[in-house]
Amino acid sequence: MTVAARPSRFALGRRFLKDPVLWIAVALIFLLVGLFVGFPVYKLLERSLFVNGQFSLQTYADLFQKSYYLRPFFNSLHVGVVTALIGTLVAFVFAYALNRTNVPFKGLFRSVALLPIISPPFLLALAAIFLFGNQGYFTKLLGIDFQIWGFNGLVLTETLSYFPIAFIILEGVLRGIDPALEEAAFNLGGSRLRVFLTVTLPLAVPGLASALLLVFVESLADFGNPMVIGGRYTVLSSEAYFAIQSFNIPRGIALAIMLLVPPLVAFLLQHYWVSRRSRVTVTGKPSSSNLKQVPRVLRVSLTFIVFFLSGIILLFYGMVIFGSLAQAWPFDNTLTLNNYYQALNRAGEHFKDTLLIAGIATPISGILGMIVAFLVVRKRFAAKNLLEFSTMLTFALPGTVVGIGYILAFNRQPLLLTGTALIIGLAFVFRNMPVGVRAGVASLQQIDKSIEEASTNLGAGTTRTFTCITLPMILPAMFAGMAYSFVKCMTAISAVIFLVSGKWQLVTVEILGQIDNGNYSMAAALSTLVILICLGVLAVMWLFVGRSAMERIVGGN
Amino acid sequence: MRFTKRAFWVGVLLFAGLSGAVSLSSQTLHMLCSFNPEECQFYIDVFEEDTGVTVEFVRLSSGSALARVESEAANPTQSIWFAGTNSSHIVAGQKGLLEPYVSSLDELIPDNVQFKDLENHNWIGIYAGFIAFATNKDFLSQNNLQAPTSWADLLKPEFTGKIALAFPFSSGTSYTVLATLLQLGLNGTTPRSQESVDAGFAFAAQLDAQVGQYLESGSGCITLAGTGEFPICISFAHDIASRIKSQSLSLEMTFPSEGTGSEIGGMALIKGGPETASLARAYYDWALSVRAQNLYATFFRVPLNSKATVGEGVVRAADVVLADFDQNWAGNNRDAFIERWRELTGK
Repeated sequence: MTVAARPSRFALGRRFLKDPVLWIAVALIFLLVGLFVGFPVYKLLERSLFVNGQFSLQTYADLFQKSYYLRPFFNSLHVGVVTALIGTLVAFVFAYALNRTNVPFKGLFRSVALLPIISPPFLLALAAIFLFGNQGYFTKLLGIDFQIWGFNGLVLTETLSYFPIAFIILEGVLRGIDPALEEAAFNLGGSRLRVFLTVTLPLAVPGLASALLLVFVESLADFGNPMVIGGRYTVLSSEAYFAIQSFNIPRGIALAIMLLVPPLVAFLLQHYWVSRRSRVTVTGKPSSSNLKQVPRVLRVSLTFIVFFLSGIILLFYGMVIFGSLAQAWPFDNTLTLNNYYQALNRAGEHFKDTLLIAGIATPISGILGMIVAFLVVRKRFAAKNLLEFSTMLTFALPGTVVGIGYILAFNRQPLLLTGTALIIGLAFVFRNMPVGVRAGVASLQQIDKSIEEASTNLGAGTTRTFTCITLPMILPAMFAGMAYSFVKCMTAISAVIFLVSGKWQLVTVEILGQIDNGNYSMAAALSTLVILICLGVLAVMWLFVGRSAMERIVGGN
Repeated sequence: MRFTKRAFWVGVLLFAGLSGAVSLSSQTLHMLCSFNPEECQFYIDVFEEDTGVTVEFVRLSSGSALARVESEAANPTQSIWFAGTNSSHIVAGQKGLLEPYVSSLDELIPDNVQFKDLENHNWIGIYAGFIAFATNKDFLSQNNLQAPTSWADLLKPEFTGKIALAFPFSSGTSYTVLATLLQLGLNGTTPRSQESVDAGFAFAAQLDAQVGQYLESGSGCITLAGTGEFPICISFAHDIASRIKSQSLSLEMTFPSEGTGSEIGGMALIKGGPETASLARAYYDWALSVRAQNLYATFFRVPLNSKATVGEGVVRAADVVLADFDQNWAGNNRDAFIERWRELTGK
């Protein structure tokens, strides 16, 4: 806004008259987020805070009196912190190697690093058991006891599943840093290590903080991996599900609400820390520079590390594909296409329904995300931080509890949505939106606001400036948000367990059923089809946005 | 924002259309089914063929099904809850979520307080199942061992770390195991007495030290026993037999000689569901019929209908030593027992 910011009663009225569309948009966004994020969370709180109609903190007090609920809390924190650290480190190595050095096969390594974004539920954890468990291939081959059940397995599978999101952020940040700064440091005689420690790393700090936070939150809310490989090492998200399973919904909710505390603290810290610095590095376009030739030793060792990490990722995915081609994985490994035939035969409807709902939810979630990001970064209005934070709420809660919240909120007229496809779609839109919002916010913070101000000064209103100037500039971020959203619609299981109806069946629910039934080959075949569909859709997005923009998506952040 | 807005309204309209389409369907029964999806579909196919009614089912485990019924109580989307351990139906009945119903075929299920809700008619039993041990045959032959045939056998040093089962608080199967140990009357105590409970917990603590890993779902350890990851699994006989058949697992099934626990699978009408008064009753009646109960042979379940045929190879009550198992006692003490178990084992 170029309008002076003296906040007075008259100014408020004037601001509304000057730009009514903006204020209507703000009101609408508040309404939507309030209704589909705030309201379900409120219903959850209500359910856990009222015992027989009386306000009571008993449900929460119980949790603190029982050692068996405190332990999972610390287990969650432990896994979350270690996963966030390792995941961010791995992501940084990938991002640094691909953007600041001349390692070979960059395209290949980048694709492999992004692959685990498409991580079908349960399968990676199963692969981990078959590879590193007591009877695992590598256990027998190397004679090492990997202790894969519990902490080790959780860190391994969660790092694998969630480091790509850190990679996307860090690659964007590294690309956003003008190499001229580092070159200047080199020219002043700095060693590579010194330049890295005093220039590159400090400039990447906000990105590192973002990456750590997102991986941490995703790890806390993870449901699929603890179910399969957690074993006796229980974490809060699985305890919440167990409580619901054991006929105690309020306790399940309370356990899930406890999960919100660490991300809230982390979010506030990060917000306070990062928002105090200016991160504008894009005033027009980033200047591209020739990559620095790196010393041979560094190049070889970085290539080796990246190669090794890529190998682990491909090993897991190779395992799933192998499982899908086996007669009865892991007992009868005769190769066959029978699983695919059966999967398409039986789950064809599931694929159709899932694609339809994902196809509608994805663009809505992408566009809403950009509008929220635009409003939050560029406009000033009351409760702006509240809006930004509340979009994160359903993202940070374990999905099963979000599902319960949606039922509690939308089970009465005039908002009777249970049993429809709409409730599934809404859960997808609002649970997946935060990544688009984060991508949009980060992207906008890097773009100098004077570009939009020029448009406003030339007489364009908010709508015109947003559609003609802002949106094209943050299009990569929008598509990043949409890509994430689509993949989550195809692979997320926990939120929809309680929302599916007989008419609207989802592939992930079918995968869960096959896992429960011990039919791992069928689950692997369904998952491989999901991976292929996601790759196909991402490829179409690639064509649509164009290669250059897609490269910015990868670094779009 | 023209494009944005248009896309938004197109989305809204499409969603409205989709949800409208759901409410238009008639002659459709909405069912919660707690068998695995394939088994649900198996019975439903026959019912649809018999009656011409379309069934749309949601598959949820017993605990999740109850959570859904409870959360949706203001406006239930499902009308009948088919299968699942009856302990969850009992709790649902206590919470007032079920519609009482006495079927015309009610008498085919024996009048036993374990098999049906004689007092309130909230639920009825449909099949019985027994706890069994499944042991990997390769593990036995390679180590020259015999499969465990008693609860006491499980404590042998050669089985340390080799046993897997679910947590009693995440799985009905495993709670049945715990409840069996507690009411068995171990060490000559009177079944279900305080001494019996104490002896049961003492045994549970010893068993805990033998367990290699706890899992989330009751049948999860069967496949893992098949791979040898944890060669001994404690689960339901019908689940073990089904997987031995469908996945050609090399497992030996045995039963504890001191007495084994049992479950009764139940079925109930959901209060206020869209077809509770009509189609759901039709399915309820059908599921009690000899024709429907004969189908259980395929999945190794014991039908409760006294006139139905028990399938070949299905483990019956007469084939095992049955503990004097009181479902209601187990259900009523559940929270207290689970809390004591968790404090005892530190899980």
